[in-house]
Amino acid sequence: MIAQRAGTTALRRVVTAGKPNAFFNTNIAKLGLASSSLSSTTQQTRPVATQHLTPSEAQSILAKQRLQRPVSPHLDIYDKQQTWFGGSAWQRITGASFSGALYVFATAYLVAPLAGWHLESASLAAAMAGLPVAAKGGLKFLLAWPFVFHATNGVRHLLFDIGVGFKRRTIVQTGWYLWGASIVGGLYLAFFL
Amino acid sequence: MASIARSALLRQVATAGPVPRQVIASSSRALPVATFHTSARRNLLPPLPQKVEGTVNDPAPVPEPSPSHGSYHWTFDRLVAASLIPLTVTPFAAGSLNPTLDALLCATILIHSHTGFQSIIIDYVPTWRMPRVRKLFNWGLKAATAVVGLALYEFETTDVGLVETVKRVWTA
Repeated sequence: MIAQRAGTTALRRVVTAGKPNAFFNTNIAKLGLASSSLSSTTQQTRPVATQHLTPSEAQSILAKQRLQRPVSPHLDIYDKQQTWFGGSAWQRITGASFSGALYVFATAYLVAPLAGWHLESASLAAAMAGLPVAAKGGLKFLLAWPFVFHATNGVRHLLFDIGVGFKRRTIVQTGWYLWGASIVGGLYLAFFL
Repeated sequence: MASIARSALLRQVATAGPVPRQVIASSSRALPVATFHTSARRNLLPPLPQKVEGTVNDPAPVPEPSPSHGSYHWTFDRLVAASLIPLTVTPFAAGSLNPTLDALLCATILIHSHTGFQSIIIDYVPTWRMPRVRKLFNWGLKAATAVVGLALYEFETTDVGLVETVKRVWTA
């Protein structure tokens, strides 16, 4: 006990001879390591060097690195059935064209009295009646096909939303049925109604 | 025994020094970058100058959850879409619609169109890329919908109604 204490005080004296240190115990350990690492073979080497960066420097490196990232692949690499004939994409295309046409027509209808146009139902019907049969049918099909497609595919999407028919195989199958049905339905509305 | 063996191994690794540079370089060159690119490179949308929000280690910001912009909006959209089904089928079954139902059809189509255009704008005009254009489009859509609403009111009150007009034009 006494011998131990004498040893510690001697050590403390040696260490604090240079300058007083509050962290006595930890420094003892460090001193031991430092003296042994000079000669021993257990010294660690770290080939990776770190460098201090300010936040703005780090951000500029990240920004530069992000420019090197590959851009999303072009649509061409995906499955044709999904990208070109997918019901979802055509739902948006048909809906946007129909609504776009409605917006254009309605705005024109509001402006018509000021511009001197005639867009009342009677004039529209008269204009339609004046067209040749082929043009009449073609124009009707152009309106009827997106209408049938959007309506039937809309029901399909509402069913998807409640979890019906949402298997991959079923989606692909009903997608093809939908194309057939909408074309047949459009032709029926255009030429037989 | 094991700990003795481990320390010896550690000592060996520690004293081995850095791995020669040439070894690393040749092994990474053996993995050609081209194998990952199966199609020709197309710069459809070249990246803009990048801007980092916050610090480098911040996660991507998560938007505040808002049911009125999220699930309620989604459910409302579906309800409007579903209510269009009977309004669309009835004229085919009954041959026509009474003025009230015709006005209801117009109003529902208008709401359906508005929310449809809204989702198109949200999808194709991202705020992070063009915040001003997004704002312009949003307000443009609101103005257009107001004008179309007024026009449909005029049409419904001064003309024969939507369904009847389509019927007359179709059978002309």
